[in-house]
Amino acid sequence: MSRSNSLRRARPLLGTFVEIRVQSDSPAAEAAILAAFAAIARVERLMSAHRADSELSRLNAVGHVEAVEVDPWTYDVLAAALRISGATDGLFDCTVAPALARQGFLPRRLQRAGSGHPSWRDILLLPGRRVRFRRRLALDLGGIAKGFAVDEAVARLRAAGDFAGAVNAGGDLRVFGPAAEPIHLRDPAEPRRLLRVGSLKDGAIATSASYFAARRRNGRRVAPIVDPRRRTVIAASRRSVSVIAADALTADALTKPVMLEGPGSAEFLARCGARALILEAGAPPLEIRRAA
Amino acid sequence: MEWQFLGSVAAATVILTVPAHATVYLTVEQAQQALLPGIALTAFPLHLSDAQKAAIEKQSGVAMGKSAPRVWRGASGELFIVDEVIGKHEYITYAVALGGDGAVRGIEIMEYRESYGYEVRNAEWRHQFVGKTAKAALKLDGDIKNIGGATLSCRHVTDGVKRLLALYDVALK
Repeated sequence: MSRSNSLRRARPLLGTFVEIRVQSDSPAAEAAILAAFAAIARVERLMSAHRADSELSRLNAVGHVEAVEVDPWTYDVLAAALRISGATDGLFDCTVAPALARQGFLPRRLQRAGSGHPSWRDILLLPGRRVRFRRRLALDLGGIAKGFAVDEAVARLRAAGDFAGAVNAGGDLRVFGPAAEPIHLRDPAEPRRLLRVGSLKDGAIATSASYFAARRRNGRRVAPIVDPRRRTVIAASRRSVSVIAADALTADALTKPVMLEGPGSAEFLARCGARALILEAGAPPLEIRRAA
Repeated sequence: MEWQFLGSVAAATVILTVPAHATVYLTVEQAQQALLPGIALTAFPLHLSDAQKAAIEKQSGVAMGKSAPRVWRGASGELFIVDEVIGKHEYITYAVALGGDGAVRGIEIMEYRESYGYEVRNAEWRHQFVGKTAKAALKLDGDIKNIGGATLSCRHVTDGVKRLLALYDVALK
């Protein structure tokens, strides 16, 4: 694939840098890149917990009082979130926002929500794209909406023409096209070093690691990942977890459960058609998949 | 989906080092075309007084640092501004287009460079990139297209845009 006829663009979206690359420089490809960025911006407007004016924030404000009709995209992401919560026996849970807010990873207003112990089981998806909570809770789609945004962006690009490409939103990467693409991961012990770990064709790989995201709180470094069983953030580590799946939503959501369960993740990964790679300082890359 | 794991041993041996990520996305002309297509832009020399810089910092809550935004104007008052932000790990050149009303029309990352620690703040290190064309940067980047791994937050760019909106109020309105 030559570089002369490719386009590569980046914009600050979803709190990170979103990069889109396509192997075409046609006007159709240019227009598709704009449409793809617009789709990602739309996901941010709908589902960001950081924005007080997002649909998600409105849902958080009143969802425990009355059913709220939401955008089809928000409904789809919630349905996928609950499906993955079920498949991982609650290790993926998008109601852990208060624990993240307490550590400064999310706006402080989300700390208040969530008296008692709400979980993903308190989210009810009703007919007519309506959502209701069984109790007051703070929903945060930060662990899954980015993947969904990547998938929507890829859909816009694929609809525009027969070219290959990739969308990378802060470590949620999806490639499409006829050829397998080499995939590099950052070495969690030294993130400026890249390891070539494999190749991927028409699929997604999402990575969670604390090398950039960790914060120092009360003398210890913590990662923006919550263990739903303890409702507290986990300690920052020199480990990165990457999940490989057909779509970026699935890959994105599963990085958190794999971060918690490590090699014990093989079963739920298989249930979701996924596998994982764990990179740990001082150890060779470890692939986690159910034995065939 | 087809995934081919390189294998534990092989993956551990294929290691590439700095710069982890250095990409030129758009030249000034390309960014102008992307953000304000078809609009003729004229360079607008900008010299900020200390009082103006202080006013920008006060309004935006973001330090000016060494920021020296370059400004272009369109016939209907559109503005195209190129600025840089330097974070702990990154050095980013970006462009912002404002409509005649001062509202943001779009933001594009022009150059994204990552490094660690002192290199980013070190003028000499930064100088090596001055005048680099898209082609040279792509060579630097080699065939490393797909970096799966956490990326940095875009907070510095968000702050930079805040600063440019204050610049508009203070000096370009």
